[in-house]
Amino acid sequence: MKTAILIAMIVLADSAGDVFLTKGMRQVGKISALNPRAILTIGGRVISNRSFLSGIFFMAITFVSFLIVLSWADLSLVFPAKSLVYVLSTLGAKFFLDETVTFQRWTGIVLVCLGVALTSLP
Amino acid sequence: MVTTHDPCRQRASLRKTIVVLILSIFAQATGNVFLSMKMKEIGNNNWSTFFAQAVDSPTVWFGTALLIIGFIFFAAALSWADLSFVVPAVSAEVVVNVLFANYFLDEVVSLTRWTGVLFISLGVILVLRSERQRVNRESKEIPTSGGR
Repeated sequence: MKTAILIAMIVLADSAGDVFLTKGMRQVGKISALNPRAILTIGGRVISNRSFLSGIFFMAITFVSFLIVLSWADLSLVFPAKSLVYVLSTLGAKFFLDETVTFQRWTGIVLVCLGVALTSLP
Repeated sequence: MVTTHDPCRQRASLRKTIVVLILSIFAQATGNVFLSMKMKEIGNNNWSTFFAQAVDSPTVWFGTALLIIGFIFFAAALSWADLSFVVPAVSAEVVVNVLFANYFLDEVVSLTRWTGVLFISLGVILVLRSERQRVNRESKEIPTSGGR
């Protein structure tokens, strides 16, 4: 039960983090340059972006819960269960980021979800 | 969002996304192995020393550094690629994590979990295909003028 609650918290916080992060990264713009000065400028813009920072906040919640749950549960149980986030994040991408998700992509995601459920079993 | 419709550049961008995501996946999976190894050693019997011990451990710092590196690659990919592509593509990391947990941490992985791994792999292949088709479709829709 303790494990289930922590995993639910991880999944919710992680997908909220994904959506905010994507929003922030898109506001900053595509990262294409590889020279140090450009990376510094982009890095500066990234860390001062409010959506990105909200994303980081949710990821921090995810990470702390993840560390705590790992102290008693197996990684090969926690990690697959945690990956339910892939489905929730895709819904977030569709509804909050206006991405088109094709039938083939949904099929892939459902397969991933089934796989995740199977890997979560002992 | 500005999208480039040059087909060559779009395919190159898909290749770049895949390379960046593979780097992200391996950094995170390796980081998780180190974290799991150390956290289990620490255990959660004594809460007053739990965090102190975790913060004190180089293994935890190293694992965390790898997770951060993986995260930077992930965030970089999100600046140009769709979240609905990046997120399921990154689920390949579950496969790598199960393999690593089995190999490096000696966790027993049952047949059920291996079946799950197979499902996830198939799902990731479908998602990859859907992205390649999208790239091809978009480059066909736009008449190319003097492609490279």
